[in-house]
Amino acid sequence: MSQETATVRATFPSLEWFQALKDIVNGQEAYRRIGICDTTMGIKIPDLQKFYVVTFEAFEVADVKEATEEEVEDCDFWLEAPYARWKEMLENIKANGKADLHHTLNTLDLEDPEGFARSHDGLRRDAFYRFNQSLQFFFDASSAIDTVFLQQGT
Amino acid sequence: MSQEAIEVPADLAQVAREHDFPLELVRRALALGFAPAAIRAQILRGISPQQAEEFISQQERLRAGQEVEVPEDIARMARKRRWPQDLVQRALRAGLSMQEVRAMLEAGLRFDQAERLVIIRERAQQRQQETPEQRQRRQELAWMNVRTEWGVRVRPGKKGLTLGSLNVGSYGDIPDYWPYQTEMPRGAQHNPGAPSMGYTIYEKAELWADNAADLYEESIQRQWKPATAIPWEEMAPLPEVQERALAQLCTYLCQNALVCSDVIGKWLKEMSYGYHEVKVYMATVGFDYARHFDVFRKRAYLNGVGMGRQSPGYYLRVIKDARRWTETSTLMFIFNTSYLIHLCQIGYYTAASEGDALIFRLAMQDLARQTAYGIKHLHYFLMRKPECREEIHSYLQRAEALFAYEDDKDRTLPEALMVLLGGGLGQEELKRGYALLNYFRRRWLRDYLARLAAAGMPERRDRLFPYLRQWSPVPAVAR
Repeated sequence: MSQETATVRATFPSLEWFQALKDIVNGQEAYRRIGICDTTMGIKIPDLQKFYVVTFEAFEVADVKEATEEEVEDCDFWLEAPYARWKEMLENIKANGKADLHHTLNTLDLEDPEGFARSHDGLRRDAFYRFNQSLQFFFDASSAIDTVFLQQGT
Repeated sequence: MSQEAIEVPADLAQVAREHDFPLELVRRALALGFAPAAIRAQILRGISPQQAEEFISQQERLRAGQEVEVPEDIARMARKRRWPQDLVQRALRAGLSMQEVRAMLEAGLRFDQAERLVIIRERAQQRQQETPEQRQRRQELAWMNVRTEWGVRVRPGKKGLTLGSLNVGSYGDIPDYWPYQTEMPRGAQHNPGAPSMGYTIYEKAELWADNAADLYEESIQRQWKPATAIPWEEMAPLPEVQERALAQLCTYLCQNALVCSDVIGKWLKEMSYGYHEVKVYMATVGFDYARHFDVFRKRAYLNGVGMGRQSPGYYLRVIKDARRWTETSTLMFIFNTSYLIHLCQIGYYTAASEGDALIFRLAMQDLARQTAYGIKHLHYFLMRKPECREEIHSYLQRAEALFAYEDDKDRTLPEALMVLLGGGLGQEELKRGYALLNYFRRRWLRDYLARLAAAGMPERRDRLFPYLRQWSPVPAVAR
C-alpha cells in the first residue's frame, strides 16, 4: 500500500484506534483489489484484558467493536499476544511502512507454539490463512496512524 | 364494454344460480379478465358474495390506477420482511387477495420468494388477455414455453452477483439425487433425446459441501498471477546450500501439484450436472494446482539451481487410486493439503525475501480454501452416511501408513527441510534444523487433527497411524 501522511493520532489499544484503521483500509482501492474477505477476527491482549472484534465482509472492513473475551473466542479466529508483542509489531510496521519478514502475522503465528492465530474450530481457524493477505494489509495500514502506546506498569 | 354486454357462459351462470351468487358479480369478474373456469372454481369453493364484492372492488380500483389501502399490520410485516415498497400493491394488482398477501407474510416468505409468486400471477393475467394471434405465436415457439421457472430476478449484493445468489426459488432446490445422466444444467427442462454422458456421481451426499459456491467466488476473486504478482527481480539468491534445499522443496511441491491436478481432472467428468457449485469450484482448484506448479517451478529455476530429485510419491498414489470422491476429497483436501500447508509454513518461515514469503503466503491462501471444502464435504457426508465412518478411517489409515513409509524410506525432502530450517550443513545447523522440523511437524499434526475434528472425526486423534504419533503433542518453542 502507498505511504500516507499520518493524520490520525490514537492510542493502542482502543476502539478509536481500530475505527481509524477501518476507515483507512476502507478508503484503499488496493484493499478491494485483493478480493473478497469474509471473516470475523478477534483481538486479544490478555495482560491488559482488552478485547476487540473486527468484521471483514466482502470488500470492506464492515465493523470494529470492543468485545468480551467470550465474544472474541466466538470469532472465526482470534489473534492473541501480550501487549509488548503487539507493540513491537505495530512499531515495526510504523518504522517500515509495513511489517518486515520478522513481524508479519504469519511469522508471529509460526514462532508461537500456541499460535498467534487461535480458534476453537479447525475449519474456522483456516480463515487466517485464506484471507492472510487482506489481514496483513489491514495491520500494515496502521503505519498511517500516529499510534500512542500505553506506558506499561503505569 | 359495459358489464351488461358481457355474456356469462351458460354453465357458469347455472353454477352461480345454484349457489345464490349474483350474476352481476360474475360479469364484473369477467370484465376484469378473470377466466370463467377460475370464477367457477371460486364459487364452488364457497366464496361469499361479500368476499367477492370486496375482492372485485379492490381489483377495479387497482386497474383504474388507484392504490388500495393496505392494513397497517400487513404493511408492518412487509417492512419487517424487507419486501420492496410496491410489492404488496403488485401482488394485489396481480389478482392476489389481501388475505393471501397476509398468509404469504405470515408464512415468512422473503421478498424474492413472494415476487416469484407475483410474477407467476402476472404472467397468467397476461395470457388471459392475449389475442388469438399472440396465443398462436406462443404455441409455435415451444422453447419459450418450457416448464422451467422464469421470471426469477436476482440482485447483486456487496460481493456483486454471485453464483450462490442464483440459488433462489426452484433453482435453490438442490436434490438429494440427480436423476439425469445428460448434460442438462440444473433448472433447465429435460430434453428426452439427449444422450447419457456416463457420469457416476448422482447423489448429493457424495460430493456436496454447503460452502462450494462461496469458495468458487472467493477463488476467482482472490486469484493471483505468478508471472507478475511476485517481485522476481528483487529476490536475491540464498547461500548455495539453502538455494538447493529450497529448489528441492519446490520440486516436491511441483510434483504434488501435478498429481492433484490430474486427480481433479479425472473426477470432474464423474460429477453430474445437478451439483454445479462443486464442479465449478473444482475447476478453480485445478487452476490453483496449475498455478502452484507454475510458481514453484519458476522459484526453483530463479537463481540458477533448477529442479531437484523426484519424490517416490507412494502416498500420492493412494489419492490417485481412490475409487470414491469422498475418499479422494478427504485424502487430498484434508490429509495432503494439511501437509502442503505445513510445507508452505516452512517455506514462509525460512523466506529471506518478501518475494519468497509472498509465494508461500499466496499458496497457503489457495490451499486453505481446499481444506474448507474438504472439511465441509466430509462433515456433510458423515451426517448423511454415519455408517461410513469406519470406511473413512480406513482411507486415512492407508494414506497415513504410506506417508510414513515414504517419509522413512526416502529422506530427500526431510533433509532438504532440515537444511532450510537450520540454515546450512554444519552440525549445529543440522541439529537446529532437525529440532525445528519436529516443531513444524507437531504444528502440522495438530492442525490436521483439528481439521478432522471440525469435519466430525475428533476420534482420529486416538487412531493416528503410530509413526505420526511422534509429532502429535503440543508444539515446543520455535526459537
